[in-house]
Amino acid sequence: MSGAALAVERLAAPFGDQPGLDGIDFTVDPGRRLVIAGASGAGKTTLLRAIAGLGPVTGGRVLVRGRDVTARPAEARDVVYLHQTPLLFPHLSVLENVAFPLRVRRMPEAEVRARAAHALELVQLGGLGSRPPRALSGGQRHRVALARALVARPAVLLLDEPLASLDPTLRDEVRGAILQLQAEYGAALVVVTHDLDEAALLADRIGVLLERRLAQLAPPGELFRQPASLAVARFLGIPNALPGRVHGDGTFECALGRIAPDGAALRAGPAVAVFRPEALAVADRGAIRARIVEIRHRVRDTTAIALVGETPLEVRIDPARMPAPGAIVALELHPGSVTVLEA
Amino acid sequence: MTRRLPAAFGLAALALSACVPLALLGLWSVAGAWFYPALRPPTFTLEAWRALASARARLGPAALASLGLALANGALAAAVAFPVGRALAALAGWRRRLGAALVFLPVAAPPIALGIGLQYSALVLGLGGTPLGVLLAHAVPSVGFLSLYFLGIFTAFDRRIEDEARSLGASPAQILRRVTLPLLRRPIAEAVLLGMLISWAQVPLTQLVGGGLVRTLPLEVLAYVRSGQDRYAAAGALVLVLPGLAAIAAARIAARRAEVPPL
Repeated sequence: MSGAALAVERLAAPFGDQPGLDGIDFTVDPGRRLVIAGASGAGKTTLLRAIAGLGPVTGGRVLVRGRDVTARPAEARDVVYLHQTPLLFPHLSVLENVAFPLRVRRMPEAEVRARAAHALELVQLGGLGSRPPRALSGGQRHRVALARALVARPAVLLLDEPLASLDPTLRDEVRGAILQLQAEYGAALVVVTHDLDEAALLADRIGVLLERRLAQLAPPGELFRQPASLAVARFLGIPNALPGRVHGDGTFECALGRIAPDGAALRAGPAVAVFRPEALAVADRGAIRARIVEIRHRVRDTTAIALVGETPLEVRIDPARMPAPGAIVALELHPGSVTVLEA
Repeated sequence: MTRRLPAAFGLAALALSACVPLALLGLWSVAGAWFYPALRPPTFTLEAWRALASARARLGPAALASLGLALANGALAAAVAFPVGRALAALAGWRRRLGAALVFLPVAAPPIALGIGLQYSALVLGLGGTPLGVLLAHAVPSVGFLSLYFLGIFTAFDRRIEDEARSLGASPAQILRRVTLPLLRRPIAEAVLLGMLISWAQVPLTQLVGGGLVRTLPLEVLAYVRSGQDRYAAAGALVLVLPGLAAIAAARIAARRAEVPPL
């Protein structure tokens, strides 16, 4: 705990006049990346602003490098918060924008110029220092904002949906700049986003913010494999949730039969199995009979809605062997891809 | 083409209505003895303009006093109205409406009514008949007017940029000096100009609070009109028009040269 760049302890922050976030706990070590994912309106921006000292805190503590900064003003926290769109100062040149955090810290002129120029070189904008911000492209503005945020080597960088307003090409450019600069300056990074793909690409760990609390905090692979609750599974876009029962021997019985799930032992009683479409495959030797009712085409995959008894399940299918709606197919379940949650 | 005719006619009428009185004032200011029914002055003289440039005549010192008051009022009213407008913009709902109504009161009040109240206040404070008393009297409606002006400016101002500066380590004073004031330099300059113009043309407040001891250009022009000295009145009136024209020109030039896009 003492080595953490940022520690948030039982933090509570209101949504306007309403009760807001409550009991938020996490730490981020120097050089590590935590992504907080949540739906729109979940309180992601509220959380970042509270940490940055730009929004109210009604309980708990924020510690930066072990120092309690909860009562300190934003400018004295060693935490930089970046808005979704880069807010460069339009009256300053690109170089002076990057130099701004150094100038307000009253650093010697030579050091200011050297560090600002180095930061601009890092984002491949070394030749554009004399230009006004309005002369830059969208991606270049993001890179300048990142260079400016990190040039004074803050302990923590908070990014509010940094890629949300960008087209796919720019996303790659800006994501690359975030990772490169963060590695160079070693700041702890906290990003909030509603986009799980972006979260997975940026994060060491992902925290899922649901109903005012952090519902789960885990590395991306673990989170996607083992959601901690049905609510997290739903947020992660896992479409299949089958109610059933855990027996004394640890097996789970549901409409798909009796399966032995991986993971921790569960208490006997009602439970829910959650799994992605790829956990179920159309296979000739499959033991589960289902009727295809709908085909869903997406950019990355094709799935079908299959009725098992009266239960609709989403199933990954091979586009080369696509069954027609109405066809009866055999399905095979991969139990290792199923997570059983106590109901 | 036919659609353009009414517009052209309207523009011409507007130009004439603005230019003809100014041209007549110009003519009157250099006219010798000019009486009805003569269509043009029989002789010309620069006597009134010399009086404006002379420290011994009444017009010159009055013009200087007006200029000093206008400059001071522009700066004072803008300096007070800036934080007032900012504070109003941060309010919401009924608080904002109430605040805006309160600052609008001195603007909406008839100058005579306001002047009587201010005259009494100035006398109580021992400022009656002093330039400072007149300046403070001019500042009252100016602050109200400019507070509403800054309310509009700060309503449109994206304060997230100040949050960004804070997060980057700038103190409130540094944000004001390095971010807010540079970003708002055009609106601030315009506010100072507006404050100057309000003071420059002020008559009732100057008369009531100055008590005839503070002589400004509008008061002198009025005195010349009352005493039938049309040449001096016309020259003074033309000078009264100049700051307004200069302000319009300055605003146009500033808009053309602005590096920072208007808010």
